[in-house]
Amino acid sequence: MCVWCERYGEGHERWYLNPANYARRLYKVRKDEPEAAGAEGNPQAAGGMASMGRAFLEARERGDLETVERMRKQAHDIAWGIHFGQVITQEELEQILDIIYPIGLMTCACRRSMRGLPDEENFTCMGMGPGMYKWERWPDTYRGGVHFLTPDEAKQVLNTLRSRGLVHTLFTFGTPYLAGLCNCDYPDCAAIRTAVDVDVKVLWKGHYIAEVDPDLCNGCGLCVRRCQFKALSFSPSTLKANIDPLQCYGCSLCRDVCKPDAIRLVDRATLPALAEIW
Amino acid sequence: MLATIVVEDSKCPDPLACRKCLLVCPTRVLGLGTDVGPQKYREIDPEHFIVRGVREQFCTVCMKCVEVCPNGAIQVTVEGGVPA
Repeated sequence: MCVWCERYGEGHERWYLNPANYARRLYKVRKDEPEAAGAEGNPQAAGGMASMGRAFLEARERGDLETVERMRKQAHDIAWGIHFGQVITQEELEQILDIIYPIGLMTCACRRSMRGLPDEENFTCMGMGPGMYKWERWPDTYRGGVHFLTPDEAKQVLNTLRSRGLVHTLFTFGTPYLAGLCNCDYPDCAAIRTAVDVDVKVLWKGHYIAEVDPDLCNGCGLCVRRCQFKALSFSPSTLKANIDPLQCYGCSLCRDVCKPDAIRLVDRATLPALAEIW
Repeated sequence: MLATIVVEDSKCPDPLACRKCLLVCPTRVLGLGTDVGPQKYREIDPEHFIVRGVREQFCTVCMKCVEVCPNGAIQVTVEGGVPA
């Protein structure tokens, strides 16, 4: 069972299908964030992005597992309380678009930090909920401005981003309040990087896992390049696509491009060994 | 072996406009941020933007960022030195 659904679902099937979790003002949390002090120049802190510092990398490097685990736990405690994300499927996204309002298309802070992407090329992120009305208070967070969208317009934009190969994710701003609908890829999303590179779960896997039906797979390999989580490979032995269920985040991007419809999503909860692997 | 990346901010006046190092890095080791954190009601001046090494475990010491920097602001070092 997903701990967030348990704590914050309030009878809804998933915690992010509970409208109450979209209802808080967006930036209330900022006051309490230690990084707002900006004492030391630090790109992670400046971008508000959870990532791990040099001390963590050095502990990993020298094989100091005790320190690594302690720092990982600290990072989890902070991220899960304030700002972390979870992958969602297209079907779930469509349900969420019926709940959230307003929806503001904005520039992506991760790609700005990773690539210095100019604002006009960088409108891939969405802010949601009443906090968005106050976006002008934070000119740098919202560099390039905000385009408010109707749910139908948002759906169109999200479909375009998805066809480009970006993964839909939801992010909390003061857990359990969800205020970010991001569209992410490896290696330019700080959350995917932190989760995949150093196993610090600032991004949780989704509730589903993709499976390939080898009898239907025609071996075209189109799905392989859609995976942003290093879960999909093409097997030269069987000439079929291969999905690693332990690595799969359940975003369903691979399924989008499968012409013979050989990929389906199964609920993580139906696989006992994976049910708690987030 | 973790590389050490040092950026001299005084030689890097506007990294958001320049961003050559960010684009050239094959593994996105570098990060762009500010030295002031989020600022309410005002835009952050270009000189407050900074570049840092943040994912050094992926630095291959290829020196592309050092070479591409127009102002020689970046130094990459690794224990034992870089082969000539």
